[in-house]
Amino acid sequence: MSKIIMSLNCIYRFVLLLIVPATVIAADPVTEMGEFSVFGKVGLDELAQSGVKTATGAPMSTPRYLSTQTCFIIPKPPDQVLAAMKRFDPTAHRELKVYLNSELSGSPSAASFAKLNNPPQNSAVQALSAATKAMSQDLQISRAEAQKYSAGQPVFAFWTDLLAKRAQDFAAGGASRQAPYDHSKNPVQPGQELNGLMKQQPKVNRQFGGFLGATGLLGGKGSLQADNYWQLLEVEDVGVVTLGASYTRTTPGGGAQLADGFYYASGGYNVALTLYQLWPVNTGGQPSTLVWRGDFISANTLGTLHGIERLASEGAMRKDISKAATIFLRENSR
Amino acid sequence: MKYRGFLLVALICSAPVSVLLAGSEKDFSTSSTTAAEAVEEPYKFSADFTIEQAYIGDADVARGGREVNDFDEYYSNVVFVYTPRIKFGILRLGAQWERYSFGFSSSGGQQLPNTLQAVNSIIGLDTKFSDSILVRFEAQPGFYGTSFEHLDGDAFNIPFVLGGTYIYSPELQFVFGVGVNLQSRIPAFFGGGIRWKFAPKWVLNAAMPAPRLEYQPNRDLTFFAGANIKANTFRTDDRFGDRHGDTSLNNAWLAYEEVRTGVGAEWKLNSSISLTIEGGYVPWRQFDYHRTEVRYHNESGAPYGAIMLHGAF
Repeated sequence: MSKIIMSLNCIYRFVLLLIVPATVIAADPVTEMGEFSVFGKVGLDELAQSGVKTATGAPMSTPRYLSTQTCFIIPKPPDQVLAAMKRFDPTAHRELKVYLNSELSGSPSAASFAKLNNPPQNSAVQALSAATKAMSQDLQISRAEAQKYSAGQPVFAFWTDLLAKRAQDFAAGGASRQAPYDHSKNPVQPGQELNGLMKQQPKVNRQFGGFLGATGLLGGKGSLQADNYWQLLEVEDVGVVTLGASYTRTTPGGGAQLADGFYYASGGYNVALTLYQLWPVNTGGQPSTLVWRGDFISANTLGTLHGIERLASEGAMRKDISKAATIFLRENSR
Repeated sequence: MKYRGFLLVALICSAPVSVLLAGSEKDFSTSSTTAAEAVEEPYKFSADFTIEQAYIGDADVARGGREVNDFDEYYSNVVFVYTPRIKFGILRLGAQWERYSFGFSSSGGQQLPNTLQAVNSIIGLDTKFSDSILVRFEAQPGFYGTSFEHLDGDAFNIPFVLGGTYIYSPELQFVFGVGVNLQSRIPAFFGGGIRWKFAPKWVLNAAMPAPRLEYQPNRDLTFFAGANIKANTFRTDDRFGDRHGDTSLNNAWLAYEEVRTGVGAEWKLNSSISLTIEGGYVPWRQFDYHRTEVRYHNESGAPYGAIMLHGAF
């Protein structure tokens, strides 16, 4: 028996030997970020001075996919950064073009979308209404959903029912349960698109794979608690209703990983996924947070861009993400 | 949780950008990637091509008492460019054949070649100085003559363009550039313009050489009205002047310029190929042997029609 215990102790020590150096390495945020990101090694003090650093993400072979990576330092510890993220209200920033933003309970119903009964009156929303009345092929809905629309039906009553059903499906079985966009010319299934995005980002997938596997974004329902929400926003002059889910988990050493996925959109893009890694660091003697952010999007329009147009779209994506990150950084640097 | 708005909204706004669209907030102090940080994509054959054919009806030009009347024109243009992605941007390697074929009357009297044609290569690079500034350099070394029989070394020329786009916002971009052709009357021609999406579905694309107003009722269809300026230089053969009563026209560089104004429609057949049909009027054209002071100016214009197939993969 004692031999068995000694053996177990030896094994335990050996396992510890394996784990401890890894933990030490992982505890170095700059090294860890360099291993899975496109940034390589960055200087913390330099990054703290320079603001937001953005780069095009690892290339993906599917033309409709695009990714961007961002890193920056916020002069606050991770718990305060997380709290600030939770407080952030996109509707307060007009340039972000988010008109409605609302939480969803774990059991979403039509009542959860009550704000749609009184949508803002602007050209983007009118464009969405017109497309709905015409059952345009630009609408990303399933054939079955399209058949449920009857002429004369209030447009946003249609969307309320559709969003409620899709939110319920997500709560029950994750993104893989979402109906495909087979009413449109380029049918995709949201869950498959989210998986496709991650499969083409092997380094990021390795870093976040365990976490993402516990969410409802890449597989089934997932074991982690989701924070669900919906938004009405504008993409290319057209109103878009969208459903999303956010997940957070803390990491050893006081950091955190976040995943935020748009698993349904009525137009503009198929799906979008944003990943965050936060590490506690010290810059200039001040407790701070090193933030890495990866944005991954699938949009049919991207698939039609070639040559310099593609180059421009990458620049556009970096600029807009940099803009949003800078807004947040400024608000939290005071 | 409310952080997702911060996480994703910008992404949504930017992702479905079309040609040269981008957001811009210049007052933000951001440090973005430069061309040197551009990434290489997995190998994928990428190229674009253009096949264009136009017909211009009977028109007149004149030089003093010399009149050239009732000649029509067939214009042909075929361009293929291989566009691989490299670390510094997008290479442009290709070839082009461009031909102006004029239907001069057999009675003669004109000092103009029946055919102007070029066979040239294309060597260029699209790159970016920042997320807001895209730049194109493109040289077109090749033979610019009057027929395949006379495409010799004397007809060799290397015109090139250096142009850029400053992306101020998704709605507004500024275009600037210079075209250099040492055999042209104006060796360096500076130009500029704007691309302004001033309303949903409406774009003012006021950039040379094809300024136009565009209306896009849906993603697959664009109607436009505007102008298109065609200009190039071609060298006559070393006996051309002998045959046309003016030896100064032997081996002479001829600058040909033509302005088309019209309306048209561009239809995206699929995500890679588009078909353009347009028609209108050619109000101005000029044949200019600028080094010998022999110039045929426009006397009367003519209607035209054109069809173009464009693809990008």
